[in-house]
Amino acid sequence: MADELPYRSKGGADGGARDDENDDDDDEIDETGYKTVKDAVLFAIEVSESMLRVPPASSSKKGDRSSPLLVALKCAYHLMQQRIISTPRDKMGILLYGTEASKFYDEDENSRGGWSFPHCYLLTDLDVPEADDVKALKELTEAESPESAEIFKPSKEPVLMHNVLFCANQVFQQKAANFTSRRLFIVTDNDDPASSNKGSRSQATVRAKDLYDLGVTIELFPISTPEHSFDTSLFYNDIIYKSSPSDPEAIAYNPASMVGGDGSKLVAGSNDGISLLQSLLSNIASKVTPKRALFSSVPLELAPNFRISVKGYLLYKHQKPSRSCYIYLGGERPQIVTGYTEQVAFENSKPIQKTEIRKAYTFGGQKITFSDEEVKQLRNFGDPVIRIIGFKPMSRLPLWANIKNSTFIYPSEEDYVGSTRVYSALHQKLFDDELFALTWFVPRRNATPVMAAMIPTLPAEDIDGMTSVAGMSATGAPQGLHLIPLPFADDVRQNPPTTHEKPLGAPKELIAAMRPIVQQLNLPKGMYDPSKYPNPSLQWHYRILQALALDEDIPEKPEDKTIPKYKQIDKRVANETIEWGRTLDKVVKEYQADNPDAVPTGFKRPTTTPSVTSSASTKRVKSETHDSVSEEKVRELWQKGQIGHLTVAQLKDFCASKKLPVMGKKADLVERIEGWLESK
Amino acid sequence: MDKEATIYVIDLAKSMGEKHAGRSISDLDWALQYVWDKITSAVFTGRKTLQIGIVGVGTDHTSNPMAKGADGYNHISILQPISQILLPQLQALPDLLRPSKTDDRDVLSAIIIAGDMMTQHCRDLKYKKTIVLITNATGNIDDDDVEKTANFFKREKIELVVLGIDFDDRDYGAKEEDKSPLKRKNEEILKKMVDLGGGEVVAMQEAIDALSIPDIRPVRPTPTYKGQLRLGDPERYDTALSIDVERYFKTSIKRPPTASAYAVREDGPPDEGLSTVHNLYKYKVKDDDSSGGTRDVDRDELAKGFEYGRTAVAISDSEQNITKLETRMGYDILGFIPIQHVERYMMLDNSSMIVGQKGNDRAAIALSSLVHALHEVESVAVGRLVKKDMAEPIITLLSPLVAKDVECLIENILPFAEDVRSYRFPALDKVLTVSGKEITQHRNLPSEDLLQSMSDFVDSMSLVHGNEEQMSIDETFSPVLHTIEGAIKYRALHPTGGIPETPEAFLAYSRQPEDLQEQSKGALTRLMAAADVKKVPPRTKGRRKYRETEKPLSGLNVEDLFRNEKRTQISPDNAIPEFKQIMQHSDDMKRVKDGIQQLASILQNWVSKSFGDANYDRVVEGLGVLRQEMLELEEPTFYNDVLRDLKKKLVAGKLGSNRNDLWYRIRISKLGLITHEVSQFSDVSQADADAFMSLKA
Repeated sequence: MADELPYRSKGGADGGARDDENDDDDDEIDETGYKTVKDAVLFAIEVSESMLRVPPASSSKKGDRSSPLLVALKCAYHLMQQRIISTPRDKMGILLYGTEASKFYDEDENSRGGWSFPHCYLLTDLDVPEADDVKALKELTEAESPESAEIFKPSKEPVLMHNVLFCANQVFQQKAANFTSRRLFIVTDNDDPASSNKGSRSQATVRAKDLYDLGVTIELFPISTPEHSFDTSLFYNDIIYKSSPSDPEAIAYNPASMVGGDGSKLVAGSNDGISLLQSLLSNIASKVTPKRALFSSVPLELAPNFRISVKGYLLYKHQKPSRSCYIYLGGERPQIVTGYTEQVAFENSKPIQKTEIRKAYTFGGQKITFSDEEVKQLRNFGDPVIRIIGFKPMSRLPLWANIKNSTFIYPSEEDYVGSTRVYSALHQKLFDDELFALTWFVPRRNATPVMAAMIPTLPAEDIDGMTSVAGMSATGAPQGLHLIPLPFADDVRQNPPTTHEKPLGAPKELIAAMRPIVQQLNLPKGMYDPSKYPNPSLQWHYRILQALALDEDIPEKPEDKTIPKYKQIDKRVANETIEWGRTLDKVVKEYQADNPDAVPTGFKRPTTTPSVTSSASTKRVKSETHDSVSEEKVRELWQKGQIGHLTVAQLKDFCASKKLPVMGKKADLVERIEGWLESK
Repeated sequence: MDKEATIYVIDLAKSMGEKHAGRSISDLDWALQYVWDKITSAVFTGRKTLQIGIVGVGTDHTSNPMAKGADGYNHISILQPISQILLPQLQALPDLLRPSKTDDRDVLSAIIIAGDMMTQHCRDLKYKKTIVLITNATGNIDDDDVEKTANFFKREKIELVVLGIDFDDRDYGAKEEDKSPLKRKNEEILKKMVDLGGGEVVAMQEAIDALSIPDIRPVRPTPTYKGQLRLGDPERYDTALSIDVERYFKTSIKRPPTASAYAVREDGPPDEGLSTVHNLYKYKVKDDDSSGGTRDVDRDELAKGFEYGRTAVAISDSEQNITKLETRMGYDILGFIPIQHVERYMMLDNSSMIVGQKGNDRAAIALSSLVHALHEVESVAVGRLVKKDMAEPIITLLSPLVAKDVECLIENILPFAEDVRSYRFPALDKVLTVSGKEITQHRNLPSEDLLQSMSDFVDSMSLVHGNEEQMSIDETFSPVLHTIEGAIKYRALHPTGGIPETPEAFLAYSRQPEDLQEQSKGALTRLMAAADVKKVPPRTKGRRKYRETEKPLSGLNVEDLFRNEKRTQISPDNAIPEFKQIMQHSDDMKRVKDGIQQLASILQNWVSKSFGDANYDRVVEGLGVLRQEMLELEEPTFYNDVLRDLKKKLVAGKLGSNRNDLWYRIRISKLGLITHEVSQFSDVSQADADAFMSLKA
């Protein structure tokens, strides 16, 4: 079954039982054991006259003429698209409050007792976003004069905050029951919503505590204006809690935005430098990924009788496009099918019960079996632990010693009081002396043990004498220790085959010719900053899916920020590369003169030569690797009307070599080539 | 891979059954450890081209083609012709390899027979040919034919390895006391044979010792990219430079063999063996009209597509590639960065090597200049690799590696923007107050004393002394891989023998070396005193006394507000918060019990009103909260009673029909009875709790 598609397992059908074989599983865990590891974010955005006010045209070049409300919705729209890519299982919703209109599930004004939550308008229900949700939001934000939409009409009477909070409470209970992470993002410019009503204020405090007890975290995104700076002490400090319930050690405020000191951290918009949209977007972006632990109860053992508690997080992990799935088109609307497997005996196709299944290894053409207990025993290398074996200088950690992504560990006071200070001292020592700790790392029960190097974060260099407040790296990695799994001797491959026993070293003059090229082509700030390089395949995949889902036009050209800046390269090192090419020609000639037998017989002469004028040679490679056809041949076929006899790969190659677009189906390609031939 | 043929010539004379040199097992059993290890390793590869033959010398009987024609070939038996060894052959061997009742044999004759077998089998084909002789060399050897035989071996390119039991080896420090003159003479004959014909004589002790270091089966290097490494765009700029390169894995995780699923039929005859399991893929869709709410659909009815959020996007067969980015094969350098700016922990995946195209000297020299230039200016390159047309681009880090035997670029995979999760954590070296002030003295910050004692401790635990490195990568072997392989080999030879212990060699690096522990004792004591770490007791009794109610940022005492609220009836639409609040604020056991009763009936009500599984998540969440609260309150019985009652009603069908799925959810969410192991106040045993989770019990 070669074309078998990977099917989706029904969520949790295999239960908590982890497959012992599959120990590469990087799934984040839930600490309580019973919750679903998912995140739900509900935006609560206030609608009022001031939120709808379009700022006057400013001289600022980044001046974005949108009302705060529209900015908030744009953020939500942006985030919705982003979450579909990065966390496709997580839910998101948008609740407007302070509106004249009300909307809550299937209620209407004739419902018994009227509206449960007057002036609360559930714009997008809390759920995994649907194409229609994205489309609706897009239309709202891109409308001609978006602020004048009927639903944005503010109510005449003030909205009661306790009502809003309880409305959110109901949404979370109904749509995100048992989620590990539930957050309410409040976006408002009103710092004292209960100014006139003391009773409502204390009711709001109670409703906020309800949310806290339900496990919902409230995050506030206040909007200040030059005329009015948002004062959290008037109301919001009573409803926001210091720590999120799921992570008692996490501190609610965000150190990165604290550089301004004295509380200005909570202010968005008062800064002229960046637009409200940018600052709100970056504030929300920094909160949007729920912190999910990979493990939470693995001790860090410094010595046999000396342990501290740490939690593990994955900071780096491949984000892959969603897998393709099967879709049933026979119903009212396209529906994704659930796949499942049925196990049958090969000989007679009779169904097999789980109890009849044995695991066996093939050895010498026959099967060797072990009991479940024996398999467990073979894989048991003791309890999960990060055990320090000893220390080595960083110079003993070559870059090639890498097999998979690292795990970040951060101290927790949960099991051992005092863990944080010990961890901090260890971090300090390793950083100061450029050491790493060699550890024995068993992340889970029955997981494959590895040796791992524990190394400190590389702090960002001082900018204007100021270090980053949180000790982060230049790319934003948090201060702390990382575990890098090391290869075992078994995992190191032998060197590639070569025709020379000793490597053919380049002579000094050629190295000298290369040196200025390296020196003059530093990346910006001399660093690789991942945030500057979105994955072009992933972005394109979702860009096309979005276009298909929303019935938009298919975009022509992808944006690919990973393509080198050819023009700059040419500008900066043109002379140097030409010089290097000349030197190379010379030293190769000399080498061949000294070693007339250097090119061993039986070896294909190199198809291309590295050269400074390689445009011609590149084409030659292509023509050889792809078995492509010459222009004459294509013209000949064209005259016979037989271009269609060529393969798609050949057609594409031909298009590429003539700088024609290579997109589209075979018919398109044929048409394009015919057009080109005619025009010549 | 080359074809290989190995013949083991094993001395099975009576004397091989004796114990020597203070060993607890016979010479033969001792030597066979080596043979079993090598043969089972060969079987493991499953390679047809790895062939093995076995000749016994000193056997009671004679079974070889030369015995008829000439004297001197008695007591030599071909026990296993040259072939791939499969399990039946392997399992037949232990019975064949037993000491005989005679000491009459000539090992040189056996070598000649093995050589004959080898040439008969390999003919003119390309084989790597090895004959391994294992003997204690206590029998007579007629040395007339040594030179002739050696010449034959040399001509046929057969390597002879002699593993001599208690042979002398000055280099290895092996020497047998009171060696008999006959054995001394035999050792010399064999040495001469090897010197003339090619091969080596090794003391058995050395061979046995070497077994503790696992054989690493080399993987044939295969390029994962063959093309150009470019700087600039050669199609548009004539200043672009390009080098023909090949890419090979440098590291790749070697996983233990995986077991596949087979079925045993309990009704069938027991010796019928295991039958292969075949997976049938089936598909179902939601359908409210069908019983169970779903309906099976046929693969032919289905289109392929993707999910965009909750929306299914079908893509027709002709457009399957529409979401794929058009890319062209190539390896581009984006630019360079100083090596000290590399954030080492950012690397994903395994590493690779980039070398010049094989046999292309020009490419080798060109690449070498880049490698050395990077090395000299302490820089690395950032590259963009597209392995073949239409493949997804990856961003890589290319760093120089200059070694005696290889010069190359080491390639690591770098993350894209989407691969990075920007979690924020408080800094470790400072603590900030809510208002943003920096505090330098805090219980979470290390004191001077702690910093100093940590520094001393780390210094006392160094694994590197001068050039000596303990536990380097080439000395550490995957414990799981070798344990499982070892167990499979052992089970193949001892079908009823249990499983062997994991050899100590694979566990040595799971602990701190004893000498280091000894050396760091004092530093550790001081460190632990300065750290003053205290284990949190498993459960804090009467938690309300220890844990205050959480307060909002303003520090407002919310408890007072709740006193005014007078919540006594738990409202079903705010059940969890209100239940928690009752647990937090009541000291009165009667109110606690009442709260539990209320929550229990709300949960049951949710179940009975649930359309399908609509309310199950809420029920599971409610049970989870209740269980947690009861654990903290140290009243497990309350929870257990609620769960028992719920199950009773579920089974009796009082909460709606077909609620088995809910019970399944409760089971996989690990919300079973609280056992004595979990809470000492429970009287439920683990076994009872397990049995309780079955719906039939």
